[in-house]
Amino acid sequence: MQPFELIVSVACPGELSGTDLSPYDAVCLGSPYCRRVDGNYAEALDLLAGTVTRLHGMGKKAYVSTPATPREADLPHVGRLVDAAAAAGADALEIHNMGVLRILREKGGPVPAHMGAYANVYTHLAAGVMRDAGAVRVRPNAEVALEEMGTIALEGRVEVEILVHGKIPLGVADGCFLLTEPEETDPKCPKACREEHWLASRDWVLKTVGKGVLSGRDMCMLEHLPRLARGGFRVFRVEGLYESADYRSEIGAVYREALSSVFAGGEFRVEGRWGDVVRRHAPKGLCNGYYFGAAGRKYVGSVLQDGNSGV
Amino acid sequence: MAELLASGGSLEMVRTAFENGADAVYVGAKGWSRRRAQYEMDDPGIVEAARYARSVGKILRVAFNTLPASAEVPLFLARTDALYAEGVRDFILTDPGLMMALKNRHPDTILHASVGCTIINVQDAFFYKEAGASQIVAECRMGMETMRKIRREAGVGLEVLVHATTCFTLLGRCTMSSYTKHEHRVDAAGKDHFPGSPNRGGLCYRICLTEWDQVGAGGEVEAEGITLPNPAFFLVDDIPDLIDLGVDTIKIQGREYSVALVGEMVRFYRELIDACVRDRSSFRIEPWKERMARIAAERDAERREKTAGLIGESLTSP
Repeated sequence: MQPFELIVSVACPGELSGTDLSPYDAVCLGSPYCRRVDGNYAEALDLLAGTVTRLHGMGKKAYVSTPATPREADLPHVGRLVDAAAAAGADALEIHNMGVLRILREKGGPVPAHMGAYANVYTHLAAGVMRDAGAVRVRPNAEVALEEMGTIALEGRVEVEILVHGKIPLGVADGCFLLTEPEETDPKCPKACREEHWLASRDWVLKTVGKGVLSGRDMCMLEHLPRLARGGFRVFRVEGLYESADYRSEIGAVYREALSSVFAGGEFRVEGRWGDVVRRHAPKGLCNGYYFGAAGRKYVGSVLQDGNSGV
Repeated sequence: MAELLASGGSLEMVRTAFENGADAVYVGAKGWSRRRAQYEMDDPGIVEAARYARSVGKILRVAFNTLPASAEVPLFLARTDALYAEGVRDFILTDPGLMMALKNRHPDTILHASVGCTIINVQDAFFYKEAGASQIVAECRMGMETMRKIRREAGVGLEVLVHATTCFTLLGRCTMSSYTKHEHRVDAAGKDHFPGSPNRGGLCYRICLTEWDQVGAGGEVEAEGITLPNPAFFLVDDIPDLIDLGVDTIKIQGREYSVALVGEMVRFYRELIDACVRDRSSFRIEPWKERMARIAAERDAERREKTAGLIGESLTSP
């Protein structure tokens, strides 16, 4: 049995292509933000079976994301997505919306549910309700501190997934911020969200992906991995959506090596080359404040903080 | 007929809302509702407000609609037990686990699923009904067709906000404020108010309402001084349709506004609803729009001032 699981999220074949998946144990397929993302695995159901089979052939688990904000008109598609994921042999569905969880349950739970970042899991009681509806894993809301996550896992009797690296999901909207015309007719769709766009005001920077608002800084828990392991956490994610193949490949390699070291026991130290990689891929800086009860954009730590060029 | 639900940010506002025609008023339990502490009420105030509501044959609902920490669940149960003992039966909640816990403890409580639940489809409505809610608040941008479907199929009451400050993102699914500033302030009862997190403690710094530059990959400014679309809304045109649709509650949000303005808004909607119900066939909305525009202008002036203050507050350390 693997001592830990490292997951990466990829939205579409364009993101999967060129990504070195060797550091990862599982891939979460699809974007929860927008059904119009080109090749979105949560939309292009004909791609699912082949991709899941391919990932299984590589010895990896395949999870399938579902829309974070499905309106009533989207529910028939959600039903088909659940069926397609089950038929493809997906290992779990990532769910953000309670209605989608209920649809899965009404279908007899053909696939386990993992509650995603927008499911608003804040308490062990909520996790327990979701567990009773078919969830086996939850990713608590970004604002939930590590200490609280331990309680959710223990008292909620569910596995807890931790975002260890990447942009933090901060908000999801119906309308695309990057378009000026309706999405069906705006020629900028679906290209606009594949480009890089930031929102800057004062000393705040956010990343916009059209229907999603992400942190400008990259969550980074590299120096805190021993603490996560001691806390009993075993499931870790690198947020790969809207990033480059190099980002997913190189960040994954860093965390694979670091986590392997942590779970092997013995002394752990952050290698200088790891620091170089995470800093190179984080043009707006690193953060992890939420996990320690601070503002999300803050960085708590003594190794990878801004200005420490020693690592 | 649809119930008119108004905001009660203080005992004075509760009385004013009832006097101006509200059928029900909601208040926030201090530390537990989606507004900062100054617009919430302590238990003696809530009990007094509930007594007043009963004395005039109306309803007081108490919002415990933040998403607390697991360690705070015992505080929630103790506080709702105490209010229950004083005769309070109507609660507004967001966390489905808290809903189930409260319903199991006090089966005769009446639970409404808050706007913080982000209920956007009929399956969501079923989910929260199964968690114990007898009424759900429709997400702010929900269309009439979905409302109709929920009314027809879900077997829960439907509540619609006609006056609200909404969010750039979906309300209840945003952590932009706490990303920039997030603190901990634990009150004497042991409740953390999580300043900066609207989901957890109510105080949102509304950073979405400041001006932003949109910047491309190379640092080039693509658009300068833009605002993220997030208007406060004030529905008038939809009122007849909502009444026809049979919504159970028409809600006016606004605990943070002045008592006088809330009174004016309640009176406006009371008269509008009554006029519409009295003679639906000859009802015309146009005359109401002019009056609404005047109230909206007052509201916007108060909102601008408060928003500027909040953004300024967000810039102070930490």
